[in-house]
Amino acid sequence: MKTTASHARRSSLVRISRYALLVAAVVVAIAPVYWMLTISLKTEVDQFASPPRWFDFSPTLAHYIDAFSTRSFGSFLITSAIVAALSTLIAMTIGTLAAYALARFTWPKGLNRRLSLWILSTRMFPPIVTAVPLFLMMRDFRLLNTITSLVLVYTAFNLPFVVWMMVGFFRELPRELEEAAMVDGDSRLGALRRVVLPLAAPGLAATAVFCLIVSWNEFLLALVLTQTEAAMTLPVGIAGRVTQYEIKWGVMSAAGVVAMMPILVFALSVQKYLVRGLSLGAVKG
Amino acid sequence: MTSSESHISKFNWRERAFPYLLVAPAVAVLLALSIYPLFYIIKISFQTGSGDAVRLSLANFTRLFSDSFFRDALLHTLIYATVALTFEFLIGFGLALLVDRPLRGRNVFRAVLLIPMMLPPVVVGVVWRLMFNPNFGAINGTLKSMGANTDSLTWTASPALALLSVIAVDVWQWTPFMFLILLAGLQAIPQQPYEAAMVDGANWRQTFFHVTLPLLKPAILIALLLRTMDLLRVFDQIFILTEGGPGFATETVSLYIYRAAFRFFDFGYAAAMSFVLLALTNAISYAYIRLLQRQETA
Repeated sequence: MKTTASHARRSSLVRISRYALLVAAVVVAIAPVYWMLTISLKTEVDQFASPPRWFDFSPTLAHYIDAFSTRSFGSFLITSAIVAALSTLIAMTIGTLAAYALARFTWPKGLNRRLSLWILSTRMFPPIVTAVPLFLMMRDFRLLNTITSLVLVYTAFNLPFVVWMMVGFFRELPRELEEAAMVDGDSRLGALRRVVLPLAAPGLAATAVFCLIVSWNEFLLALVLTQTEAAMTLPVGIAGRVTQYEIKWGVMSAAGVVAMMPILVFALSVQKYLVRGLSLGAVKG
Repeated sequence: MTSSESHISKFNWRERAFPYLLVAPAVAVLLALSIYPLFYIIKISFQTGSGDAVRLSLANFTRLFSDSFFRDALLHTLIYATVALTFEFLIGFGLALLVDRPLRGRNVFRAVLLIPMMLPPVVVGVVWRLMFNPNFGAINGTLKSMGANTDSLTWTASPALALLSVIAVDVWQWTPFMFLILLAGLQAIPQQPYEAAMVDGANWRQTFFHVTLPLLKPAILIALLLRTMDLLRVFDQIFILTEGGPGFATETVSLYIYRAAFRFFDFGYAAAMSFVLLALTNAISYAYIRLLQRQETA
């Protein structure tokens, strides 16, 4: 009796400490982000209050209005959205076609395998390594400070990811389905459009969302390729203000919160494919 | 890949050219915007001088050996990568083991832990500037309200603490990545080996070292390789938090390349450094690709 009681007490202790550790991890993960949220909603007096006010302050939207109507953050936001949407659209179109060809056709001498590994390897270059030549190329083509340059660069950056992910998704679909459609008189592309793509829709959607996240978050190449306000994305706009001497912390935080919101929605929507996306398809979570 | 497409190869050459047409746009984009820049950087890394005076030499590479900024940047990068990787792996693995058992609210926990990792790196920089700020930052504010003297705790502004501070931010942001990949790996391990170990009377430690670790090895390797590649190229958060300062205490190779190219417009030297960084990450990506290939054939 005694041993079972002490055993039960020990196991409930283990359980409690397990939950305590997990709750601690959640607090550590969230608190800094929450702190930024409060700064974006506080008056300057509350921002500098000591001890810090985590909960009791009177919220104001003044910093949001300041950032997005009197300063240029609204324009940065629109640029970010256009660049992310266009580059995702192009990378998805080109990448899905290539992935279909690599997943479904017989290639001589294992060429499809070598081709997909080559495509993957282009994803491995550190961004700073391509930043210098891309800057010089875009300067020669007079594309610096244009949305076009960012769309081109992000398309190339996302393309290997799209190919690699979609090859995985296509391989999971039985090929008999499209063969049946082709016997019924569909062309290859017709079968792809009417049969394969609808079945691969969840994979397509998840891959597209990953591309949107990457393009939306990207900073280094945007910093290098755009210096004028008209072509700046949100991260570059925020960075330009943060590194100045006098910083409007409320405005900064408001811009940060707005930059973060779509990403959180996107990330939650692809939770199911997150591990697969993060490991480029290597781990199927 | 299996057969069953033999009927396709009977068609004419147009049918046979079809797959090449499908991959052509992707290959063209990558050749123009990934491969060409690579050759471009090799070319300019051997150039010194500008305009008509440009000539070929190895000067950019020999300069690397005598440049103490480069040596420091390399050292910072290696310290950053090693320390961050160690902590991210240990904490992430620990959390994954805690969650890999019946647990109420596991999905909520997983979803919340994603947040730091998905944030735009620039926003992570802003978040932590607000935490570290000596005047109104949450860390010093909280310490002060508990009675601690925080005068010397200036975090990213102090030469001694700056590198550790930016590493801590990386650990905060990327431990969830380790956690997620390792949790997925743990959950993919079938039940039988555990049952067999239990029948054999193995204790917790034996089970962990002889069942869990060997079966988790592929996931561990993938997580470590991907993370190492990212750590060696780190730029964004450090740029926002310190711009490589104070002094050059947090300048990594990526930041130094940026400074050389876009502050001093010394593209040749920046290219030579890029070359070194590329070689460093290439070895790791090669290992990653080999591992992937093994996974695929297995």
